[in-house]
Amino acid sequence: MEKKVASVGWGSFFWGIPALLWQVLFFYIPFFFLIVTSFIKHDAATESFRFTLEHYRTLCNSIYLKIIFRSFFLASTTVVICLLIAYPVAYYLAVKVKRWKSFCFALLVLPFWTNFLLLVYAWYFLLENDGLVNSLLLWAGFITEPIAMMNTKIAVHCGMFYCYLPFMILPLYSAFERLDLKLLEASSDLGATDLQTFFKITVPLTLSGIQTGALLVFIPSFGDFVVPALLGGDKDLYIGSVITHYFLTVRNVAMGSAFTCLATVLLVLLLLCMFVIHSLISRDSNNA
Amino acid sequence: MIKTIHLKDICKSYDGEVILDNFCLTVPEGKFFALLGPSGCGKTTVLRLIGGFETPDSGTIMIGDTNITHLPIYQRRVSTVFQNYALFPHMNVFDNVAYSLTIKKLDADFIKQRVVKVLRAVRLESHMYKSIAQLSGGQQQRVAIARAIINEPEVLLLDEPLAALDLKLRERMLIELIDLQETLKTTFVYVTHDQTEALTVADQMAILNHDGQIEQIGTPQQIYEFPASSFVATFVGKMNLFRGKLLTIGSDSYFEVKGLGKFSVYISARYEWMEEDKELLMGIRPEKIWIGKTKDEKFANYVIGKVEAIVYHGPATQYNVRLSNDAIIQVFEQNEEHFPKEKIDYDDQVYLHWQKENAILLER
Repeated sequence: MEKKVASVGWGSFFWGIPALLWQVLFFYIPFFFLIVTSFIKHDAATESFRFTLEHYRTLCNSIYLKIIFRSFFLASTTVVICLLIAYPVAYYLAVKVKRWKSFCFALLVLPFWTNFLLLVYAWYFLLENDGLVNSLLLWAGFITEPIAMMNTKIAVHCGMFYCYLPFMILPLYSAFERLDLKLLEASSDLGATDLQTFFKITVPLTLSGIQTGALLVFIPSFGDFVVPALLGGDKDLYIGSVITHYFLTVRNVAMGSAFTCLATVLLVLLLLCMFVIHSLISRDSNNA
Repeated sequence: MIKTIHLKDICKSYDGEVILDNFCLTVPEGKFFALLGPSGCGKTTVLRLIGGFETPDSGTIMIGDTNITHLPIYQRRVSTVFQNYALFPHMNVFDNVAYSLTIKKLDADFIKQRVVKVLRAVRLESHMYKSIAQLSGGQQQRVAIARAIINEPEVLLLDEPLAALDLKLRERMLIELIDLQETLKTTFVYVTHDQTEALTVADQMAILNHDGQIEQIGTPQQIYEFPASSFVATFVGKMNLFRGKLLTIGSDSYFEVKGLGKFSVYISARYEWMEEDKELLMGIRPEKIWIGKTKDEKFANYVIGKVEAIVYHGPATQYNVRLSNDAIIQVFEQNEEHFPKEKIDYDDQVYLHWQKENAILLER
């Protein structure tokens, strides 16, 4: 998280101390330990600890890279699907809806009040072999045998999309609220078709919302383990499932730490790339 | 080709509320045309209909011989200067102005040439690569104009374009707009609720009343000197109105106001509603009244009153004078101070004089 420079003096810093302490105690210090642990080997015979790169060497295996890539792919598709669905919804909600605005908004935020696990379990009842979807399709006669939807990639994608959609809609909604509709009129007035207006005016002016939404969806879905575990079965492993496996199942803290660090470094690198590209683009458009 | 704008039998309503009802208007080609009316009279709707932002419920809009009633906005050769400019905040001055040409994917060198030329015309060539936020209000206004005229529209619509500027800047921009229109020869349709703006810029102007009907069309002089109704008379400038009866019509016409007496009036044009003994209105502009402490025989008409208020405006002083029938008359007097003048004070008895040509008759 980016911390704002205290510009109002010590007063604001003082009130920031509890949050800062919390962050340091429960995030930065544990994270530091995590990094240290990933480089240490515990020798049971001599009861000693020594520096090692062994864990990372183990991770240099195509299996792990595949897992990371699979997580990356899952997070990316979640972002794309969420964006495609959320964009028109946010536009409609912010621009078109007038009378029932707060009601629609409440409907949108409602899933937040429900436990995450319950939300995912709900999909279980939809997708299982005698679940709602299969029953409906059977009843309508589209299929004669239930489709196996649980424990597939599709189920995971459905769950991910469902859980993270609000994180995409909310920033987009506020971006559309800030969008001056006169600008769209001005664009068509100057001869732009609706499609041109969309790509030249609407998208650039809601870009901040798109970026925020993409980050808010990408980062947690990159490391999510609940949805793959509950809806994906054990066929496909994702970053989150590997980390839980090491920490909670086989209790190999060192390997878990190393894998966590690797995933984090990759994520940070990815975000850095995005940041650099973004600043290049915006500098480009300023010095055109 | 003649590019006169014709609006014929236009009806438009929002949520059941009728804004325009059988509205007809002809805007002559190549003129600076002002549409003046109170807030909410539908003048902006007229502009939006011509621009293509709205479609009428019924009726037709023609530019020249082309029916544009249902032509999409982006195909109309009409450009708009928006009230708050609606400049694209994510583009610099150059890109804003170049927008309509970039959309058409024209050659980059050609676009640059055109943009530079237009920016030079609005004296902004040194700000070409600045971002919009770096510009002052007046400069943003000029960018908006440059952006609208670069594509050589047949009609330029201006929706209260100067409302956000301060007085000094507004006066300067008005002159610039007039110059611009004279060079471009494009039809300008200028919507405003500010009568001074309209009188200053317009070759022709139309006055809309609260119901979205046109009260009068004419040159600024015609509108100001010969308003067609008391609405126009009081909306454009100030007007002292007297209710009374037209006594005789002819070379010597007289108008009688109850409690004040008979006044001679000059009838410049005879209308069918001008009948003897009919209840009519007589109007006199405040600046056309001569105020003095003694009676001046050179004037055809006078009334006596008592000074109730004196408002000093700088170039002129306004006197509110109460007459014997309890009506209050406003008088403007220029403070030219060429010669010593008698001092008029509160509660002084004064003579208000005017010539018979200074008064106009109104039906309603």
